[in-house]
Amino acid sequence: MSDFDFDIIRRSWPLMREATWTSIQLFAWSLVMASFIGLLVALMRLSNVRALRWLAGVYVWIFRGLPALVILFFAFFWVGREFNLTSFQAAILGLGVSSGAYTAEIIRAGILAVDSGQQEASDALAMSRAQSMRRIILPQGIRVMIPNYVSNATLLFKSTSLATVIGLNELTGRSRQLANSTFKPIEILTAAGVVYLVLTSVLVGLQVLLERRYAVKG
Amino acid sequence: MDVQFFLDVFPEILEGLQMTLSLFLWTMLFSTLLGLVLALMRLSPITPLRWFSAVYGWLLRGIPLLLLLFYVFFALPEFGDFFTFSPFRSAVVGLTLWTASYQSEAIRSGIISVDKGQSEASDALAMTKSHQMRKIILPQSVRIIAPPFTGNAINALKQTSLATVITVSEMTGITRGIIAGSFQTVEPLLALALIYLALTTVLVFAQSGLERVFRLKT
Repeated sequence: MSDFDFDIIRRSWPLMREATWTSIQLFAWSLVMASFIGLLVALMRLSNVRALRWLAGVYVWIFRGLPALVILFFAFFWVGREFNLTSFQAAILGLGVSSGAYTAEIIRAGILAVDSGQQEASDALAMSRAQSMRRIILPQGIRVMIPNYVSNATLLFKSTSLATVIGLNELTGRSRQLANSTFKPIEILTAAGVVYLVLTSVLVGLQVLLERRYAVKG
Repeated sequence: MDVQFFLDVFPEILEGLQMTLSLFLWTMLFSTLLGLVLALMRLSPITPLRWFSAVYGWLLRGIPLLLLLFYVFFALPEFGDFFTFSPFRSAVVGLTLWTASYQSEAIRSGIISVDKGQSEASDALAMTKSHQMRKIILPQSVRIIAPPFTGNAINALKQTSLATVITVSEMTGITRGIIAGSFQTVEPLLALALIYLALTTVLVFAQSGLERVFRLKT
C-alpha cells in the first residue's frame, strides 16, 4: 500500500461535494414524504374504521417486510417507467414509501404512549377527535417519538446510498466511480466515509438537542 | 402482467434463496459473536477497550452499509492479499461488521438492564466476573435482548440484498439479471418481493414466539 494520497481527495472534492448535495436533497425530500405517509398511516391504524386500520396494517407489513433496495427497484423500473420519473424522483418515492412504514410505527407508538386520561379529559371537554389529536395527544406524543424519529431519519440518510443502484449520482455511487477511475479506492472511499460520519453525527447531535428541548421540566 | 412469465421466473429467483440464506446465517453467526465481544468491551473497566468499542459503534453506525461493502470489496485488497476476499466473503465481512455494531447495542442494553443487586449478590458469593456474566447476568438479560436482536436479524436478512452490488448472485442479483435480459420488470420484481415478504414474515413470527418464551411467568 502506498502512502495516503490527500491530493487525490482534493482534486476529487468538487465532484464529491456535488454528489453530497444530491444525497442531502434526496434525504430531505424522502424525509418529508416519509413523515407525511407515516402520520397518515399511523392515524389510519388507530382509526375506528376497520377498513382503514386493515389497510394501514397491510401497508406496514409489506413495506417493512421488503428490503429498501427491492422497493427502489419497484419505484424505478415499474412506477418510474409508467410515469416517466427521473431516477431522483423514483428514489424519493422508493425511500419515502419504505421509510414511511417505519415512521408510521414510531408515530403510532408515540400516540399510544400518551395516557388515556388525556383523551378522556378531551372528550369531557367536548373536543372533536381531530381537535384532541391535534391539540392534546400529538403534542404530548412528540416527546416519545423524537428519539426514534431522528434515529430513523439517520437510517434514511444512510439509505440514500441505495439510490446509486438505480443510477443516481449520489455520494456513495459517485465515490465508487471516482475510486475506479483514480485507482485510489482507499482515499476516495475514506473521504466519503468521513462526509457521512460528519453528517450523521450532526443528526445525532440534533437528536440530543431536541430531546433536551422536549424533556419534561422537572 | 404475464402470469406464465411470472411462473417461469419464480423458480429461477428462488434458486438465489440458498445464497441469500447463507449470507444471512454466516452474518448472524459472526455478528452475534462480534456484537457480544463489543458489548462486553463497552462495559469493561479497562478504558481503551471501552473507547475502542464506542468508536467502533460510532464509525459503523455513521456510514451506509453500501459504502462499507464497497470499502471491503474495492479498498481492502489494496492492503494486501490477506484482505482480498471473494465477493461472497466480502459481503459476509461487510454485513457482519455492520450488523455487529447494532447487535452490540442490543446486547449491552440487555446486560445493563439486569438489576444491580444480581451482580452484588454474585460478588457476595465470591463468583468471578466471567462466571457471573455467564451464569447470572447474561441468562437474565436474554429476555431484554431478544426483541431488538431479532429486529436486527430481520434487518440483516433484508440487507443481504445489497450483496448484489458487489456481484454476489443472490435473489436480488438474479432478479436484476432477469430484468436486464428480458425488459420485463413487474413479474420478476413481484416474485422477488413475495419471497422476501415470506421470509421476513416468518422471522417476525419467530420474534413474537421468542418474546412469548422469554416473558416472565407471573
